[in-house]
Amino acid sequence: MSFASLLADYATSGHIWDEMCTQGEIRNHYKVFFDSLSQVSPADLLRKDELAKKLFMSQGVTFTVYSDGEGIEKIFPFDIIPRIITAAEWQQIEAGIKQRIKALNIFLKDIYHDQFIIKDGVLPAALIHSCPNFLREMVNVDVPFNIYTHISGIDLIRDSDGSFFVLEDNLRTPSGVSYMLENRNMTYRVFPGLVPHNNVRSVKDYPDLLFKNLLALSNRQKSQPTVVLLTPGIYNSAYFEHTTLARLMGVELVEGRDLVVDNAKVYMKTTAGLKQVDVIYRRVDDDFIDPLIFNPGSILGVSGLYYAYRKGNVAIVNAPGNGVADDKAVYPFVPDMIKYYLNEDPILKTVPTYAMDNPEHFTHVFGNIERMVIKKTNESGGYGMLMGSAATEQQVRDYKKEVQKNARQFIAQPIISLSSVPCFINNKIQPRHVDLRPFALYGPQGIEIVPGGLTRVALREGSLVVNSSQGGGSKDTWIVS
Amino acid sequence: MLSRVADAVFWMARYMERTDNILRVLRTNYIASQDEIQNFDWNLWIAGLGCTTYDETVKPGYRQALFDLLLQKENDTSVLTNIVRARENARSVQDYITKEVWQCMNDYYHLIREKHTEYLILHGDPVTAFDNLLRESTLFYGTVDITLNRGEGYTFLNMGKYIERMLRSLDFLELKIKELEQQGNELVQWKYLLYALSGYEFHTKYYRNTLSTDNVLHQVMLNVQFPHSVLYCMQQVERYFKRLDSVSVPEHFKEMEFLLGKAISNLRYGMPTAPTAVTIKPILQNTRVEIKSLSQKLAALYFGYS
Repeated sequence: MSFASLLADYATSGHIWDEMCTQGEIRNHYKVFFDSLSQVSPADLLRKDELAKKLFMSQGVTFTVYSDGEGIEKIFPFDIIPRIITAAEWQQIEAGIKQRIKALNIFLKDIYHDQFIIKDGVLPAALIHSCPNFLREMVNVDVPFNIYTHISGIDLIRDSDGSFFVLEDNLRTPSGVSYMLENRNMTYRVFPGLVPHNNVRSVKDYPDLLFKNLLALSNRQKSQPTVVLLTPGIYNSAYFEHTTLARLMGVELVEGRDLVVDNAKVYMKTTAGLKQVDVIYRRVDDDFIDPLIFNPGSILGVSGLYYAYRKGNVAIVNAPGNGVADDKAVYPFVPDMIKYYLNEDPILKTVPTYAMDNPEHFTHVFGNIERMVIKKTNESGGYGMLMGSAATEQQVRDYKKEVQKNARQFIAQPIISLSSVPCFINNKIQPRHVDLRPFALYGPQGIEIVPGGLTRVALREGSLVVNSSQGGGSKDTWIVS
Repeated sequence: MLSRVADAVFWMARYMERTDNILRVLRTNYIASQDEIQNFDWNLWIAGLGCTTYDETVKPGYRQALFDLLLQKENDTSVLTNIVRARENARSVQDYITKEVWQCMNDYYHLIREKHTEYLILHGDPVTAFDNLLRESTLFYGTVDITLNRGEGYTFLNMGKYIERMLRSLDFLELKIKELEQQGNELVQWKYLLYALSGYEFHTKYYRNTLSTDNVLHQVMLNVQFPHSVLYCMQQVERYFKRLDSVSVPEHFKEMEFLLGKAISNLRYGMPTAPTAVTIKPILQNTRVEIKSLSQKLAALYFGYS
């Protein structure tokens, strides 16, 4: 089988933006990579695919599914063909995300303090007060450097004309960055020489940038503040990421049981006694960080942690209460926030969003359900959503009842046909839909975004759901200069 | 370092050392059962190694015995279970140990779960399976040696390793004495004990005579040139422990130092001049009690995080 026959099945559709092909031609920015790839035999490509799987397994880049007391190792599916984005496109993405994060951060400061945005009528008060992730405990709490969104993962998609849309803002504990790093390491292994040959920009700085920002948050006058990464533990599906980041930054990976609060200061339990902690990069959700304030049943957090935080004795990253800004019902107001706080026009587009508690929207959405996707405002991971185009009538009826029970918790958006990229699946190169999650780091010196991100792929043919929990995979993302 | 991390590193090392020691003794037993020792009593070893699926009414063949001791998931003390536990400990300190150590542990785990390993034990040549597994074990020690920093974690790792090793040497010695009492054949039994502890060649060079009980007991208990001897291991525990002086709570350090010194003195000066399989028994018991209290004290003073 030749390389040409490998590509023969690469069928793109006219109303979907394919990132590699346009009208049967390979786009310029894919040409260098594709020339190299055409020298690799299909059998070699298969070997590379197997090598990648083997390496992920042996390096333990896995998550464990526990059943019958026995852990079964699984790898997140990885597609070996990288996704390529041009420097010009990246420039727009970078500027757009910085603008957005800046506005969202001011919004968080405002909403937990003076609430000018409500007083000025830009945002309805009811929207905020009905949001389950608005933390009253955060009202009037001053956070270091007024930064709430230290680490954000902004999900981007491309419409049929190739323009970028923001699909979701993940401002709480976004995950996936370790896969951005590991996927690049994997590309070095499966395609030796190709990364430098294509002038791909490096993503390796991420841990250093993050660590620099975390160190800057310490409130103590100390040359070496103690930074820790708080993980829920080895059973968490993102545990691999927690260990990777802790190791790359050289900070302690702690669990809730390793920490104790005394006199409003946080300490970790070491072999030589208690040692004060200055900054906590927590990967535990708000609800679980302090059983005295939030979920009393939580054993993942630390009693008294929130009190120490309010006293300013420890910094928590990201700040608690960010969920109010990435609520899907607040999402359609982000362009207004950008205008209101920054007096700028949004660089990145926003997907039209219908609030299901608005009767007109409700009727419109269910009247055009085959073109709509309905989502829960506070769910992620692709859970709890209904794709109108793929649902049966019965499913739509059931879902409608569900929506009617608590309409505030649902929004709807028109289905956007995500762009497609080449993937190596079943010994063929085939187009599959993708999104992109770049990671933005907000520190006292500003917002930095490493050039790259996590590209998530819907591996099933025609599927638009890229979440790893729903059969999605990932691939390396190249920003070529 | 975090107490939890110290605890996990300590136990990772214990499980890995246990795995290595058990693999060596089972490999030797298997070879003995194929050659010099007719009617090898596998039940003695199944019970002696604490197999939780042991059924005294069943007399297993060598393949079934090896399977139970190596690969049986339900057996809480099988080699597979040990590796799983070592790996779980390693996973919880994945950021502390090096990537190489973690990868090594991970490869070990995948190897023992391979169908081919099971095939070799149940239908093929078990020695090949032992050798494959032992190679991973050796790789682990090498990787730890050349990649892990010499901080506190390395100290606790080595303390775990040597505490476990002396307990295994005591275990195997006791089981051999039991075997001797049942079956006699002293020279053959001692020879296989030394094989299992990788000490037979050393014995012939150091003692320059045919095997005798007092020399074998001296080697296993007191010979400080023999890396599996109880005294050697105890001295290593002391050597590593002393590195904790500057980072310990002073009272904790003193308490442990005293216990260690006492255990070493009791062992060194408490042995009869020409020990026999009978006179050694109370010494073995006392030493075991001392090691256990040492280990418990270490857990209470250094790992007491909950």
